[in-house]
Amino acid sequence: MAISTEKLTSILQNFVTSTTDIQGAAVVTPDGLPLAATLPGGMDEERVSAMSAAMLSLGERIGSELARGGIDRIFVEGDKGYGILTSCGEDAVFLVLADKAAKQGLLMLEIKRTLADLKAVLM
Amino acid sequence: MEIMRLVVTGPVGAGKSTFIRSVSEIEVVDTDRRATDDALLIKKRTTVAFDFGRLQFGPDMALHLYGTPGQSRFDFMWDILIQKAHAYILLVAAHRPHEFREARRIMTFMKQRSPVPMIIGLTHTDCPGAWDAANIALALGYPNPARRPPVVAVNANETASVAEAVIALVQYTWAGSLAPTA
Repeated sequence: MAISTEKLTSILQNFVTSTTDIQGAAVVTPDGLPLAATLPGGMDEERVSAMSAAMLSLGERIGSELARGGIDRIFVEGDKGYGILTSCGEDAVFLVLADKAAKQGLLMLEIKRTLADLKAVLM
Repeated sequence: MEIMRLVVTGPVGAGKSTFIRSVSEIEVVDTDRRATDDALLIKKRTTVAFDFGRLQFGPDMALHLYGTPGQSRFDFMWDILIQKAHAYILLVAAHRPHEFREARRIMTFMKQRSPVPMIIGLTHTDCPGAWDAANIALALGYPNPARRPPVVAVNANETASVAEAVIALVQYTWAGSLAPTA
C-alpha cells in the first residue's frame, strides 16, 4: 500500500495544533528527505529534514560506539525551546519542535502516542 | 602530536566514504543510511552526517579525515566540516560529466567559507567515458594549467592510491604554508 502523505500531514497538523507549546513537527526519511511537515514559518522543510537525519544518525552512532545502547530519542535543549528526534520505525524519523514552556512529561507522552499513529500509516 | 584535519568532499557517488575507509587505521565512523533519492541510481547507502577516519602520518602527526555528505541538502554539514579543515580534496567521478557542475558548486561553497588549500582527486578514471584531467579542470573553471590546484587520479578502493592522494594534499598544504601565495 502506498504511504498516504495526506494522512501523515493530518496526523502532524493534529499533533501540532492540539498539543500546547508545540511549534512544529516533521516526518522525514533516514537519509534526510521530507515525508510530511508542519513547521513554523521561515523553516525550510528540506533543510530541517536533512538536519534531523544527520543528528539522529550521529546520535545512534554515539549510542553504539560509546556503548549507550539503542537510542530512544535525541533531545536538544536550547534556551528558547526543545528539538526532539525520535526514530519512527526503519523508514522514518520524527522531529518535534517545542516551546520552552512545554511540560516535558506531557511532551514525551504525546510524542509516544503520535509515533504510534505515524507508524500505523507508515507500515 | 600535531593533528591535521582533512576534508574529503565531492558530489554523490564520487567515492568519499570509500576513500576514507581505504586509508583509515581506525574503524571508520560512518553515518550512512539507506538512500531514497537519486543516489539510489549509483549506490544503496548514502552518508547523512559525516565519515571519520584517522591516519598516522609520520611520528608526530595524525591526519583526521572527514568525509562530507554529497547532497546539497546537507550543506550545513559542509559548512561545519570546512570551518575547521586545514585542507580538502574535491573528489570528482571522471566518467560522470553531468556532475561536474555540482562539483564546481561544492567547490565554490567551500571557497566562500575557507581559504585553505584544495586539490582535485579524479575517481573512476578507468571507467568508459572518463574525461581526462585537463578537460575536467577546464569544466571546473581552471582553463590555465599553470594556475590550478593539483589534479590527481585516485582509485578510492586502493589503499596505496588513496594514500598517494592524501600525501599529495599534505605536501601541497605544506608547500603553501612555506611560501604563501598572494
